[in-house]
Formats: sequence, C-alpha cells, structure tokens
Amino acid sequence: MTEPYDVIIVGSGAGGGMSAYTLTKAGLKVLMLEAGRNYDPITETPMFNIPSEAPLRGNSTPDKPFGFYDATIDGGWEVPNEPYTIAEGSEPFMWWRPRMLGGRTNHWGRISLRFGPLDFKPRSRDGLGQDWPITYDELAPWYDKVERLIGVTGRAQGLLNTPDSPEGCLQPPPTPRAYEQFVTRGFNGLGIPVAAMHAAVLTQPLNGRAACFYATGCGRGCSIKANFQSTTVLLPPAMATGNLEIRANALVYQVDLDRAGKAKGVTFVDRVTGEHHSVTARSVVLAAGACESARILLNSKSAAFPDGLCNTHGMVGRYLMDSVGASASGQFPALENLPPTNDDGISLGHIYVPWWGYEKQAKKELPFPRGYHIEMGGGRSMPSMSLGGMLSFAGGDMTVGSALRDDARRIYGSYIGFAGRGEMIPNEDCYTDLDPVVKDKWGIPVLRFHWKWSEHETGQAAHMVKTFLEVIDRLGGKPTPGYQTDGKRAISRGGEIIHEVGTVRMGHSPEDSVVNAYGQSWAVSNLFVTDGAVLVSSPDKNPTLSILALAWRSADHLATLAKRGDL
Amino acid sequence: MTLPTPYVSRIDRRTTLAWLGGAAAALAGGAAAVPARSEAAVVTHAVANGYGTDPKLTHPAPAPWPRLLTKAQLQTAALLCDFILPASADAPSATALGVPDFIDEWISAPYPDQVRDRPVILAGLTWIEDEAQRRYRSDLFHAAPADRTALLTALTQKPTDAALAKPHMFLWRFRALVIGAYYTTKPGFKDVGYHGNVALASYPGPSDAVKAHLDRELKKLGL
Repeated sequence: MTEPYDVIIVGSGAGGGMSAYTLTKAGLKVLMLEAGRNYDPITETPMFNIPSEAPLRGNSTPDKPFGFYDATIDGGWEVPNEPYTIAEGSEPFMWWRPRMLGGRTNHWGRISLRFGPLDFKPRSRDGLGQDWPITYDELAPWYDKVERLIGVTGRAQGLLNTPDSPEGCLQPPPTPRAYEQFVTRGFNGLGIPVAAMHAAVLTQPLNGRAACFYATGCGRGCSIKANFQSTTVLLPPAMATGNLEIRANALVYQVDLDRAGKAKGVTFVDRVTGEHHSVTARSVVLAAGACESARILLNSKSAAFPDGLCNTHGMVGRYLMDSVGASASGQFPALENLPPTNDDGISLGHIYVPWWGYEKQAKKELPFPRGYHIEMGGGRSMPSMSLGGMLSFAGGDMTVGSALRDDARRIYGSYIGFAGRGEMIPNEDCYTDLDPVVKDKWGIPVLRFHWKWSEHETGQAAHMVKTFLEVIDRLGGKPTPGYQTDGKRAISRGGEIIHEVGTVRMGHSPEDSVVNAYGQSWAVSNLFVTDGAVLVSSPDKNPTLSILALAWRSADHLATLAKRGDL
Repeated sequence: MTLPTPYVSRIDRRTTLAWLGGAAAALAGGAAAVPARSEAAVVTHAVANGYGTDPKLTHPAPAPWPRLLTKAQLQTAALLCDFILPASADAPSATALGVPDFIDEWISAPYPDQVRDRPVILAGLTWIEDEAQRRYRSDLFHAAPADRTALLTALTQKPTDAALAKPHMFLWRFRALVIGAYYTTKPGFKDVGYHGNVALASYPGPSDAVKAHLDRELKKLGL
C-alpha cells in the first residue's frame, strides 16, 4: 500500500482492533501503528504449562507483575524507558501498559457486561456526573453485533439496568463450579441475586474458532482462539481483506495537521531503532488506550492548538476514571474435604453478582450513589505458591509430614475471594496532563497523573467489604486477616483495576467534550478516538465490551463519511 | 548410625550454563568468573539480572541468576525440606522433587520479594547448624536422627523462649516456600487433589457426590 493511507489507526487493542476490522471490511486502506512488538498467540501462548516449569514457580515479579505466564509483554505497571509521574499531593495512580500487538486484550479478564440504560444518563438519574450524548437503545444494536462476533456467554436474567441480550447473541454459560453453587446460596440467603457470567470465552465453536477446552488460564492468551483477543478475533480477518498493514514498535506521539487544519498523518518513534518517522493518511484514529491517546493529543501542539490538539477548552486529559475496587476472602469449613473435582472451567468466574441496590439508591437508602458488582474466585484451581500462605493462615500449629499433607488436602479449594468493581463518578481532581520536566527515552513529554477518590467511592468500597463479610459469615466462613472495613483503606489505588477511561470524552458540544457521539473530534473532523478515552461515565460494568461496541459504531460512521467524501 | 542420603542438586547442565551466562553478564567489565556453586558463602550477587520483561513462555529458560547457597547450606535446606514433606506411601519427598534447588533459586533471585526472604532464610539455616553444633557437636547431617528430629520439631512449636522466636518465624516462611514449591509440581497436584489442566470436550460441573456434600453442609447452615 502507498501513502497516503485512507486511515491510520494508532493502537491495536479493543478500540484499534475493532476499528481496523470495520474499516478494512469497508474497503478502506489502513495502516495500524502499534507501540509494542509483534505478537502471535498461536505460537507464543503457554498452554498447559505448569508452575514448576517456570522460574520461581511462575510467581509474580516486577518483570511479570501478573505472574510469569501472563500474556503481557514488555509492560506492567512500569514500561522500560517510558516513565510517568504522579503530581505532588495526588493520591497514588498506577498505569498498566503492555507493549505488544493486541495490547491488553491479550491478558484481560474477559468479563463482558453491557452498560445499562441508567448508565448512559447518570446526571439525569441522580444529578452527579455527566449524561452521554447517546442512549442505551442507540448502542444496543452494536452490543448485539459485538457479542455475535467475539462470542460472549450469558443468559437473560431480567435484572434492573443489567441488559438482557436478544435471542441468539449469547453463548450458553458454563455450569457453575461447586464453590459457585455454594456461594450462590449464601448470596440468595441475603436476598442478593446471582447471575451467569458474561465472559468473552466460547462455549461453542464460532467462525472457525474452537470452543474452550476448559484448561489454561485466559490471562495467558489462548492459542486455540477460544477467548477474545484482538490478535485472534479482529486482526486476522482484517488482514485477510488485504487492506491492512501493521507496523510494530511504532510509538506515536503526535498527530500532524495540514494547512487547512485537518489531520494529515502522525509522527512516531521506532522503539527499536530510535528513528522518527511521519506517515500520512486521509484520516486518523487514536486508540492507544485512554491515557496514551490523551498524551498524543497533548503533545500535538501547533499555533492553532498551543495547549495540545483538540484542547482549546482544556478538556483533554480531564475526567479520568477507573473502577472502584475492594476485596476480601474467606476460608469455608463447609468446603473442606470436598471430593476432588476439576474446577478449571473457563478460568474466570462462571457467575457474578450484578448490582442489586438500584431501588434502594433511588430512595436514598444507601450512603453512596452508585453501584458495584461482585466477582469471585476460588475452588480447586491450579496450585500456586500462594498455597503455602493459605496453610500458614489456616493452621494454628505448624504441621509437618503426613499431618501437613492432610491439612493441604483439607484446606485446598476451601477459600473464596470476593472482589467488588464499582462505578466512579468523574471529578475535577482526577485528570492527566503533561509533566513539565520529565521526558521519555526519546525526549517526548510524559503524562503526569492527578488523583483523588471522593466519598462516593470510598463509601462504596466500605459497603463492598461489609457485604463480603456478611456473605462469608452467612456461609460459616472465616475472613482472611488483612481485610479493611474503612473505605479509605479498602479502596484500590487509582488505575489499579486497569479500567482507566475518560480523558477524551464524548459529549453534546465542544464546550463539554472533546469528541462527538461518534468519537469524531469537534476540532478536527478527520480525527477520531475509539478507545476508552471517549467514555463519559465508568459504570461498574467492565469497559471492554462497551469500547468494542462504541469503536464499531464510530468506525462504521467514519467509513460512511469517508465514502461520501465528508471528512 | 544411618546417615541421611546426601542431597544431590537436580540442576542440569543447561541451568548451570544459564547461571554462568547470567553471572558473566552481571560481572561484565572484567571481574573473575563466578563458580556455579561455591564452597563458601557468595557475596557477588547484588547485580544479578532477572529474566526480563519478555521471556519465552512456552518453553521457559532456567532462571538466569547465579545460586547463592553453599553446598553445606543446600544440605541443611534438604534436611529441612524432607522434615517438612518426607515421602508418603503415595507421594515422593520434597527432595525427590528438587525443592531444595527451588529454595536456592528463590532466595538467589534479584526481585524484591525474594531479596526480602534471602536474609531470613540464610539466617535460619545458619541458626540451625549453629544450634546443632551447640547441642550435639555435630552438623545437622551427621546428628543422630532422633536429635535432628528433636531440634527441628522444637522449632515447629510456638516458642516460649524468646531466643526461638526468630528461628520459629524462619520455619514458617521456609515451610510456606516448601509447600508452594511441592504442590506446584505434577506429583504435588496429584497429592493435593488438583484434577484440572486437561482438555475437556465439555465442562461437566460438580459431580453428584460433590453436590450431595454441599447440600449436607448448606443444610447445616440453614441454606
């Protein structure tokens, strides 16, 4: 292919992959620029490998923060040569980045929940945050398409603000594991409904992809393509059109403008050679991840945009959000000595607890305005180094020999971990801008983060832990020491849940947002953003499915405009 | 008196070469070669490299950092490993699974968690040998089996003597590492009852026996 391309896409994860899939199928010539290295899940995924084959039994290290076998390459909370800073006086913020084709879709949690009708109109609901420029009904057909394309488990449950999918969209959910059937009874005993997990994992073959064979954790990636990764589901069909070219190790830092003020391409540094290159296209799509896309705009300075591209109203980098997180775990005598059974399943939970307090919140009966869902882990999963810790806590005596073997068999599989994931309300204290001093290895200014949880979030985190302790108690369990009941202590760090969204939000006008309802920037008509940056709110539902649906809708619109010559 | 079987390191040539490569990289600049395992305590470990941010995952290379335990410390660690998990009728001992070498790999690693464990484990191994000398005028290996067991069993009890507090905490940590190392192997999976990591055509969910067990327990809880 030759320049100018029809479209340059920056990033290859959920937003970039979905954009490439849509635009190449529409016949547009696309160049995808990925900051990390090329990556092939078919040959690089450690299927069936066990801990004893890996250094330190696969335990996490700063080199591999989620464990040796986690798919993430050249990344984690720190990326070599690419620092970020935290503003003075800010609460902590953590920024997870990989440097690989497919981005975070290779290792993500695969939980795929639709946002509900209330989630698009939060300000109308309770006066907090901002309403989206679209409704659930407008996005629903795109959710349908995404679910049919990537494969998502689940079933209709008829719960408030927890949308059911039309017939034929979802795959059958897997049978709940023993501990999940147990914990379901505990939640139901407290009057809390439990739902089948919506997971981007195939339980039936789809479009040439195999169904899950119920072994090997999804966080490693999947060589049989049974779960959703951009690299197995979106990029191969895009490549098959002949309309996609991918360049790896291309770290984009600037959108270039022509004299008329339109985007004419981007400039990047090759992370391997250190050389800087500019490439041209008729339109540009940013999907580098919410924070990285904001960084590119902030670093794209010109006479017309001295504070960064599309930043005339100071909106770029604003309203950064992450999910609220809190956790606790318990040990359950009732689960001791269960007959051994294969609990691997689809590796993530087969059930979850959707937010159940909408009506109470409407009546102001809860001391925090927005909800959370609960994810659980447990059962007889593949033993890891943490088993040593479990046996240290559970005993009083330090057993050895056959008594220790008995303890191990008794305790193994008797723990359940609970994690809440909740909605954060965007606030003026949470944003990112450029650090005035620090630059990366190639001299490009880096992001500086500003973070402060509000009482809306800390109150919610305290409620999460209270709920976990109630269900642990109801099921006769003992909470693992170390849990926090004070919301300020229980709450995760900003960015820690790796659901950072916002920063380039969509809206009704250039005054309240950076892009319109299609991710098209108000200031530069041929510049689009299709990653989590455009999200107006961050409901408790994990963002990836919504990023995919929004990206498909935006890219479809871009293709329509391009064909009409309206960009 | 019967002596225990000396522990023979289960490290293969490939791993030794990896350490030497790692040591050479760490010492690039002209220092002398580092032996793969020394007779005396090694102190040249401050600059060892980790496995990096892009290791091969499907066929992991051996951990590249040089090992720090001396031959004597490795023997002490081996005796402790088999005190904690000796062979049973159905399962091999910790030493048969190479757990002492894993302990060495762990405490030698250049990462923060392992660097934190290193002085705890080294001090504990030293304390045990010193105590064996004090009590029995022998190293742990050559001590009478009953004496060896008495010394180690005392450390498993909640200490009443303040001098035993640290060795007791050492043994908790050492034991946690042995448990983790042991049960993350295939024989460990079998012994603890992990039945996964096999490809299935469909996921059956819990068996009737498991469901019956759960129903009994839930009934007791009034659920």
